[in-house]
Amino acid sequence: MILLEPHNVIIQQTILEKLQKPTSLDVFFVDYDNVRFHLSTPEKKTILLLSMSIPCWHELEKYGAVEILQREYGTLVLSQPEPEYHVSLQIDLEQVPKDSESQEAFVLSLALLKRNAVAAPFERAFSAQKDLEASGGQGELTQVSYRDQEQIFIQAAQDRVTVIFSTVFQEETDRIFGKVFLQEFVDARRQPSIQNAPQVLYSSRDPPLEIRHVPGLRNSEDIGYVTFVLFPRHFANKTVASAAISHIQLFRDYLHYHIKCSKAYMHSRMRHRVSEFQKVLNRAKTEVATTDRKTVSGRTMVNR
Amino acid sequence: MSNSLRPYLAAVRSTLTAALTLENFASQVVERHNKPEIESSTSKEVLLNPLTISRNENERVLIEPSVNSIRLSIKIKQADEIERILCNKFTRFMMQRAESFIVLRRKPVTGYDISFLITNTHTETMLKHKIVDFIIQFMEEVDKEISEMKLSLNARARIVAESYLTAVRSISLLRCLQLKSPQFNT
Amino acid sequence: MEVNFRKINVDQYDEDVIQESELYEADPREPAEVLEEAKQRQVAVRGLLSKNDIAGALTTILDNAPYGPNVESAKEITLQTLLTILNSTKSTEISVIIKSLSMDTQDTLMKYIYKGMGMPGWGDVSGSVLLGWHEKLTEVAGVGCIVRTMTDRRIV
Repeated sequence: MILLEPHNVIIQQTILEKLQKPTSLDVFFVDYDNVRFHLSTPEKKTILLLSMSIPCWHELEKYGAVEILQREYGTLVLSQPEPEYHVSLQIDLEQVPKDSESQEAFVLSLALLKRNAVAAPFERAFSAQKDLEASGGQGELTQVSYRDQEQIFIQAAQDRVTVIFSTVFQEETDRIFGKVFLQEFVDARRQPSIQNAPQVLYSSRDPPLEIRHVPGLRNSEDIGYVTFVLFPRHFANKTVASAAISHIQLFRDYLHYHIKCSKAYMHSRMRHRVSEFQKVLNRAKTEVATTDRKTVSGRTMVNR
Repeated sequence: MSNSLRPYLAAVRSTLTAALTLENFASQVVERHNKPEIESSTSKEVLLNPLTISRNENERVLIEPSVNSIRLSIKIKQADEIERILCNKFTRFMMQRAESFIVLRRKPVTGYDISFLITNTHTETMLKHKIVDFIIQFMEEVDKEISEMKLSLNARARIVAESYLTAVRSISLLRCLQLKSPQFNT
Repeated sequence: MEVNFRKINVDQYDEDVIQESELYEADPREPAEVLEEAKQRQVAVRGLLSKNDIAGALTTILDNAPYGPNVESAKEITLQTLLTILNSTKSTEISVIIKSLSMDTQDTLMKYIYKGMGMPGWGDVSGSVLLGWHEKLTEVAGVGCIVRTMTDRRIV
């Protein structure tokens, strides 16, 4: 699995299971970027309550996340979310369409809850770009603090939408591995087959020009800024735009996931190599003769 | 094998063989102590001249002999940041397992990446030439291993970047096919 | 209670403790004298090198080489001169030249090879030249030569 999936597998599988056989249920689980979910049946077995808590909710709300969720889920969205959570959906299992194809599509859309919430600022920027095409100028710089110290910046301009990720590398190894990966992202576009992909720029330490005026940016060794430049062809129609959003918002998780994978691989390599060295060293040990020593009466001598 | 690696390893091999003439030697300073003299370094007369063998500025071996122990420290080639971190990880990984490596020192001598401490007990219980073989093989393979790890990291990064960007690009393919599903995975 | 007395190294007050100078016989020559000699040898070696007499040059520079403390500059000159000799020798001739040297000269040569490799900023000296000489010298003089380098207290 090289690419990460935008939907939450636990939501998808649990709800599909419950559609077959409703039982009472109360599970807590998580997703990327400190998102927490709570799936429960508070009243009866056929009515599921899916709640999500997302740290940057107040920002997403500002950029129209509520409208997007209402567009996607309609009446499922509860006006009063469960306490400690930001969004709640109420799903009546008896109301779910019965044929398997539309049932799967419905469950998948539920599993995309987090993706849809985070999509709000992106959709806003895409439509802002359309407005700016005629008038020119620059759109508002939207900022989403999707993790404690990491932000996404999105800005629409006349002919493009710029998405900037700031990401923190927790340790030295991550930072250096991250640099190697990001350099490849920049270089990969030279290949003819992926020249249509969005342009990627990368800078460590110094924030890019677009966001340099933003207050409170860290300027330390362990931070990296990745810029994606999306042109209108990347979000020309609804399908294309939604696929682009799904991919772009997972970028940070994708990068860090692969850094961790590389570290794990290095570790297993080292383990193997060290055990090889161990074998070589063991060859140096002289064999100790372990013959039984017998006493005159035939009993075995034992070392105490 | 590059042409200056062979004489380098040959020099380490002969120097190490020469240095591995160890005997049991109790401390002259503290009664009933029998410690590696190279570590305690309490009496000058049992410490011998330390020798350095260097291939270039960044690859060198320091051999510090004494009457009952020798200390061998290796500085491993680190051309860039990636090699530095990989080398650091690898030597750290090994030194954490120093217990099973018997002759490995838990901490490198300052200025070097990894150190071995061979005492007279080791030369008595193990075959001397095999210990030398082990050190030489370690030196050979550690360079190879680090450069292989670096290559695999680069290869992985390339694949990761390409498949991500291909996925974003295939959006234009999507448009041609007019697929309905919002999620698209390759 | 004062506990710092525990940290005092009492051995340094021992009257019988061995001194650096007791480990070997000091060079009878004065430092200035040694320096002068090293400079003279440098000139002599240049003459021999121009006549392509490498073995002669090596013997000249290595016999009675400076050792011990206080003669750092003489040691430096000797090392520099020696490195010029080593660098200007064809690799095919090395074995023959080494065989023609006396045992003491071989030992001193080994000391200087290690010294050359141990210098931290050794600039123009390429490692492969010294390593090549080391390999050939070990072939001819054996491991014993290295052992003598380790044990000889007369450090060059």
